Amino acid sequence: MKFKKIGASIMTAALAVSMLAGCSGSNNSNGGKTTDGSANTAASADGNIESCEVTFWHAMAGEQEKTLQEITDDFNSSNKYGIKVTLVNQGKYNDLQTKLTASAASNTLPDMAQAYNNWLTPYKNKLVKLDDLVKNDFDNWDDVIESYRNECSEFGFVHALPFNKSTYVLFYNKTMFDELKLTAPTTWDEVKADAKIVKEKKNIEFIGFDDMAGAVEATLKQNGVDYIDDKGALFDTDKGLETFTFLSDLYNNGYARLVGEDSFFSNVLSNGKIAAYVGSSTGVSYIDTSKGWELGVAPLPGNVAKAANTAGTNLVMFSSDANKQKATWEYMKFLTSTENTTKWAIKTGYLPVRTSAYKSDEYQKFMADDATATASYAQADSFFVSPTYDASTDIRSAVAAKYEELVLNKSDANTWKKELVDTINSQY
Amino acid sequence: MPSKRKVIALILNILKYAFLIAGAIFTVLPFVWMIASSLKTPAEIVQVPPAIFPKAAQWSNYKVAWNAAPFAKYLLNTVIVTVCTTIGVLITTVLSAFAFSRLEFPGKKLIFSLFLATLMIPGEMLIITNYITIMKLQWIDTYQAMIVPWISSVFYIYLLTQFFMQVPNELYLAAKVDKCSDLKFMLRIMVPMNKQAIITIAILNIISSWNAFLWPLLVTNSDGMRVLSHGLIRFQTEAGASYELIMAASCILVMPIIIVYLFLRKYIIEGVTRSGLKG
Repeated sequence: MKFKKIGASIMTAALAVSMLAGCSGSNNSNGGKTTDGSANTAASADGNIESCEVTFWHAMAGEQEKTLQEITDDFNSSNKYGIKVTLVNQGKYNDLQTKLTASAASNTLPDMAQAYNNWLTPYKNKLVKLDDLVKNDFDNWDDVIESYRNECSEFGFVHALPFNKSTYVLFYNKTMFDELKLTAPTTWDEVKADAKIVKEKKNIEFIGFDDMAGAVEATLKQNGVDYIDDKGALFDTDKGLETFTFLSDLYNNGYARLVGEDSFFSNVLSNGKIAAYVGSSTGVSYIDTSKGWELGVAPLPGNVAKAANTAGTNLVMFSSDANKQKATWEYMKFLTSTENTTKWAIKTGYLPVRTSAYKSDEYQKFMADDATATASYAQADSFFVSPTYDASTDIRSAVAAKYEELVLNKSDANTWKKELVDTINSQY
Repeated sequence: MPSKRKVIALILNILKYAFLIAGAIFTVLPFVWMIASSLKTPAEIVQVPPAIFPKAAQWSNYKVAWNAAPFAKYLLNTVIVTVCTTIGVLITTVLSAFAFSRLEFPGKKLIFSLFLATLMIPGEMLIITNYITIMKLQWIDTYQAMIVPWISSVFYIYLLTQFFMQVPNELYLAAKVDKCSDLKFMLRIMVPMNKQAIITIAILNIISSWNAFLWPLLVTNSDGMRVLSHGLIRFQTEAGASYELIMAASCILVMPIIIVYLFLRKYIIEGVTRSGLKG
């Protein structure tokens, strides 16, 4: 019996190893055939494109998908080359990421896709370099918001155009704030002061964070501390400790809570069970004010500095065919034009990617009635993007899990700092 | 005047039924919740404390959900994939289980151990390699990509082998004396004797095939090849979800399964209870 068991385990191990070997082996051989190991350089734009079909993998749903389809139909019927873009919905971000990884391994990547930078690190070499196109055939690269430009050239070359961008803002129950004579907090001290009043008068928590890993990074930055670099955590300092004193006090004093079963704080805020929360600007459509309360939106509070996470994916190109690259580029330019980024932003709640779009009459008019857009724009100078390292994806999920554990254990600031540093460093 | 024994029997009966009713309620509750939620407004869905039933049934949710994706096409695809994989699974499972339980051939134990060893490899690890295989066969965006990788299951083979082994060898030998071929013996004796186990396998496979999400998403690209479970993600985004529409779509998704259940109730219950007792 025992021998059988041992035999079976050995066999399992052998199978697993052979499968892994098979996997990486095929990667290498495939990769070698079609790419030269570094990112491909795009064909130069010579204004001569043959009619062809371009496939775009995305993860947009609902109103977002509808608007994307509209803009794409526009492109398909108006471009003079007869380019036809086919949209392929690949599920949610996680599904799209899995599918891109699998396709990269088997060299079946689409012509273009939405992607976060940290998804791309395993197959950076399959990206098409866009530097020349941006330089020679793009309407004013400097018009694109600076932090997006930096994000899109994080790998040392331009690999993407920004697309569905959002930022984290502070959503709050304005009716409750008015009743308690509070204003939206702009500093950590004001957060603590407001939270104390809400706790005393209403006996509910003041604040919550939809994205816990994002909250750690933003809060550190608001205290002038960097988060991580390519070697590990950077906040094992007094300033770091100060940051976690702020965070742990919020939870341990009952001023903040986890979202738990409610999944998104938009649900909690809608039910009047929390006074404010930090979440994606795109989440505003899920906040339900039908029970007769007014929603307020404010930039994120800061301490020694202001810092607001940006989220959302960019457009990347994988096509290896010269003609298709040119066709894909036409479509990418179309999606990010001032006119279309404005339209996209107004219909979906994402943010425009160009300064000229922010300044357009159309968007200004929209912003006048839209508190979320106003708050997002007000903090545009303090936008930051999480830097991408090989371990980024793992760190995100590990930090979120640890954060929850620290809150539930009512840990003190020292424990927060130590355990988060350990969690992050163990991912490298 | 009822005897003491009768009173005790009555009390036991009451307790038994109370227990069963409680169990039934617990089982049905999520289902009722799904139907009730599918008729709520977005505000009622997240309301605290929750109300089981909506104030006014929002039948329009079904219309919105149905129109959000080509569900009719998805339904057809799901049925095709489910029926084909289930037939495939039954054929491969019965044949292999018969071979492993009755036939003598060199390396039988080794092959069986190898089969079992594959059970210990998590499915996530195989996804990329399987995807590459499908891609090399140029099967992307076809029915066979969703069907062929799932027409054999080591777990079901293992399960059915155990059932087949319980059939006394004397039957096999007696059949052999009567010049009955292996195939005939399998179809005439083994399969009917283990009908319940085979039905159980079919049900398990139908459920998993009906609910499959990641694999069909990976190997298909066009909307015309997608399956029902893909319709559900149309209502979720990074910042929130329209739960009432998800619930309406879920109702649409499970409805065919429930209809199948109502028709095959007798076999299913027989299959599950008998095989449960045996196992």
